[in-house]
Amino acid sequence: MTAAKSLVDRGTRVVLVERTESLGGMARELTCKGLVECRNCGVCFAIDRASDVLKDPMAEVMLLSEVSSVQGDGNGHAVKIKVSPRYVTDDCIGCGKCVEVCPVDGKAIHPPKGGGQPRIHWIDKSKCLHFKRAKCDKCASVCPTKAVDYEDRARNVTRNVGAIIYATGIDPIDACETSRLGCGTYPDVISSVDAERILNQNGRLLRPSDGRAPKKIAVVQCVGSRSVKVGVEYCSKFCCKYATKISQLLIDLDPEVNLDFYFMDLRTLYEPQDEFKSWAKGKKTVKLIRSMPAVVSKGKDGKLLLRSSGDVDSEIAELEYDLIVLSVGMRPSGAASNIAKVLAIGQDKFGFASTNRDLEGKGVFVCGAVAGPMDIEETAVRAIAIAARVEDAKEAKQ
Amino acid sequence: MAEHMPRIVCFCCEKHGIDAAVLAARSGKQYDASVRIVTVPCSGRVDGIHLLQALDDGADAVFVVGCLEKNCYYDTGSIEGRKRVNYVKSMLSEAGIEKERVEMFNTASTNAWAFPEAVSKMVEVVRRLGPIGKGGEQQ
Amino acid sequence: MKAAIQVVLCKCCTEMPALLDMAMLEKIASETPMVMSVKTVDAICDGKNLSEIIREVKEREIDRAVVLACQKKDISPALFKAYTRAGINEFMIELVDIRDQVVLPHQDDRAQAQAKAEAKLEAALARVVMLAPLVRSVEEMKTRNVVIVGAGFAGMAAAQAAAKTGAHTILLESSGKTVKAPGVILTHSKVLGAKGYGGNFQLSIKAGEKVEELGAAAVVIASGGGWTKLKGPLAKACKEAVPLYELYLSIKSGNQIKGPVIVVDTPDPAGKTLRVQDYAWDESLETVIDLKRRSPETLIYVVFQEMRAFGLSELAYKDAAELGVKFIRYDKAGAPRIDPNLPGVLTVKDFSQGEKLSIKFGTLAFASIPANPDNMTIADALRIPMTAEGGIRRGSVQRGPVSTPRPGVYVCGSAMFPKPREVAQAEGQAAGAMAGEYVMKGSIEFGGSVAQVTAEKCSACLTCVRTCPYEAPFIGTASKAEIKTQLCQGCGMCVGICPSKAIELHHYTDDQIAEETRVLLGGDL
Repeated sequence: MTAAKSLVDRGTRVVLVERTESLGGMARELTCKGLVECRNCGVCFAIDRASDVLKDPMAEVMLLSEVSSVQGDGNGHAVKIKVSPRYVTDDCIGCGKCVEVCPVDGKAIHPPKGGGQPRIHWIDKSKCLHFKRAKCDKCASVCPTKAVDYEDRARNVTRNVGAIIYATGIDPIDACETSRLGCGTYPDVISSVDAERILNQNGRLLRPSDGRAPKKIAVVQCVGSRSVKVGVEYCSKFCCKYATKISQLLIDLDPEVNLDFYFMDLRTLYEPQDEFKSWAKGKKTVKLIRSMPAVVSKGKDGKLLLRSSGDVDSEIAELEYDLIVLSVGMRPSGAASNIAKVLAIGQDKFGFASTNRDLEGKGVFVCGAVAGPMDIEETAVRAIAIAARVEDAKEAKQ
Repeated sequence: MAEHMPRIVCFCCEKHGIDAAVLAARSGKQYDASVRIVTVPCSGRVDGIHLLQALDDGADAVFVVGCLEKNCYYDTGSIEGRKRVNYVKSMLSEAGIEKERVEMFNTASTNAWAFPEAVSKMVEVVRRLGPIGKGGEQQ
Repeated sequence: MKAAIQVVLCKCCTEMPALLDMAMLEKIASETPMVMSVKTVDAICDGKNLSEIIREVKEREIDRAVVLACQKKDISPALFKAYTRAGINEFMIELVDIRDQVVLPHQDDRAQAQAKAEAKLEAALARVVMLAPLVRSVEEMKTRNVVIVGAGFAGMAAAQAAAKTGAHTILLESSGKTVKAPGVILTHSKVLGAKGYGGNFQLSIKAGEKVEELGAAAVVIASGGGWTKLKGPLAKACKEAVPLYELYLSIKSGNQIKGPVIVVDTPDPAGKTLRVQDYAWDESLETVIDLKRRSPETLIYVVFQEMRAFGLSELAYKDAAELGVKFIRYDKAGAPRIDPNLPGVLTVKDFSQGEKLSIKFGTLAFASIPANPDNMTIADALRIPMTAEGGIRRGSVQRGPVSTPRPGVYVCGSAMFPKPREVAQAEGQAAGAMAGEYVMKGSIEFGGSVAQVTAEKCSACLTCVRTCPYEAPFIGTASKAEIKTQLCQGCGMCVGICPSKAIELHHYTDDQIAEETRVLLGGDL
């Protein structure tokens, strides 16, 4: 989105093809981590870019769309895009009445994920009863602006473009992969992605098991990253930054909550390394523990036990918590797709997409976290730089 | 006794403040209709006199919504806004009016919960304290 | 007050079955004095009723409008463009967001929603009567110069990127090193002062011995890190200690490196003169791996508090350890020390084992990139705030990753925060591209909703001057405050704080806000 915005600012037309129903990528479900003071997490920057791109007439945004084929002819690329039907028109005002009346278990009509833009709902055809028995039209009848359109059809469009920017983003690592830490077994062990999603929606983090506010929270870093056995070997780069800021937010929301922060190295990006440590020192209820916990087991009264070895004395400790947040990293998404292969986008052993001068010379650019671990801020910087290179390539051709 | 309809004014900044209110609305969040929004370019534009005049014009409570501090579009705007609110709070107690009736909230554009939560906090204050000068529910 | 108002009600945004009584809103509008035209349309964005709307504007000599719809960014620009063509000033159109402020959040409370919608309509009518047309001005940029302070990795990338946009780049490098870059290159140069505003800066620079005036449309700060000036007890005790970059260059040139080599994270572990900052750990690890591969027999130690090997350099951490590089973690209690009477030996307490180690070394390098001491002069000259660590402060997250709070000034690389060369280059490219794009617009727009001082009321207390982040207010020749319009961003902070109420913000005057609030609370029109 940042690259698209940079390009339209320079007067270049952009076609933005997004696989899901809204713009924003992973940032949609991440939460703002400030309460009074901004913590520089970058989430609002990402979402604001989504709004910017949508209102710019030079940007053609295609949602629920995928590139089906690309044909280069030395002078550019002919891109075939399959636009899947949304079944909800632009008249949707996002009131959500349709979701309330949808009879399907798990709902067949959904709002945009998290803070995604635009705020227009969409129907999942595979679940929707209208398409199975052609009778159900509960959402259409309750919609105040008559925005439900069952007649929407898939379209195939072709666009001729001078350059392609591949920015398919990331997928979070599943915390359940690290089974010893209890995610998937105990409802009160959640991943950082879940924690962010809940905070983004409600502004409060409550225990999934009984809905009560937690009094003692453990935040565990590097779950699934920096690991040979499970997950990935590399460091996902942004997790410490986001987790430390979530911790600060949780204490802001409830200064009495006890928070233990388990980490191996404190990799807070763009911040002096002592910043978080000094903050923690000033809070009586926050402890920093340099240790990678070994196992989570069931404790008494619905609590959880976290076993770890001490940072200095190597003594085994089993501490009780009522909520455990596992900070997960990321894996690149979509670097191995057919389109990537056609465009000759390389892949390293971790699946990160790579590009080179030749490829850029042919008008193919790779941008964002699909190219390597990075946080929102760095993604934005690199996107602006890549947009500049695309512009240069455009000038060079003319 | 007829239940008093609260009247609450919100001075909302044009940048992150209003974006947060709009996102809340477009995420299906509902909030009390007693709140009416006056848009200002920056929460720092709000003058103590506006807050006091609002109370004088019939508001039971007034709140200001601005960008998170350090993320203000105009750099120090929301910090200024908070200063004004704090100044008015200190004046209110001299006038015999409860400080809680005037409040400052900060938010970012992606917070769907911040605006409704600010509203419910202020509605709760009015419910507890009643209209200005008439005392609380306990009377 | 003479006015001719048109009220446009958009059904798409405002009509929800059984929620709002549109007829009532139409009635209130038509019964309000000075409302000459009331139009209800199905959907403004469809553009179907546009010609009708504009016809009435012309027939009834409408000079201002109240539109009940949604947000400005969601409405198709066609309506506003049509109004402008028909002669209605853009500042005379009051857009009320009924959709997001009434319809959506109060779906179950019909009575309250209707009351609120009516109040909002009346408040908008009260406000629109008080609005005045405002005109924005355009000022040509006198030059297409992008001045880049610093010719390091970030600065060079910025110069390349800016030059590609067509801007004319001028690189100011404080040292005497040879630099190959587009545009003009001035070595032994510094920025001393700056006047003016983004688009038309007048910089005062020192080039060699001479002091010169230089016009600039945009400035990119790429002053980098303080490579050459290492401060801290470890640097003091070991005069031959080098910054990591020098070690890197030395290895690249094929020099023989005197072992054992110790790379310490910072020359000031206690963080007294230098807050313990981020380091270029990926580069440090690459360098020690390179050295170990070239001369496997050299002993290499890496002494650190936090191993900040971000991203893929985590693998370099693993590789380095496998190659035999020794990693020693310490905490503040066992920080590394060099006894000045025993140079060539570093003592540190290993965190994991708890043992005190004494390591003899032949080469000592610091991975940290301290802030450039020149940053202070640059920040002062360009009036940009600094961070607590001595870097240049960026603007809020909203403004973007390489912008400063001052329009027209950008910052990149280690000048803002220490970072690896590669990232600094990407930032330089981004900053250069943005600066170039800004400059190639050729002119700046300002005015419209800006602040203005009424001199008679001003007591020259300087509060506005102290409050404005953009330095727009200044004390003029009449010893009264004045606002430099080109700098005014229209936030109104000075207006809110002026104790004499001598400043007004056009389009958001005290009277306009007060009247809107009064009517919103149920006051009569």
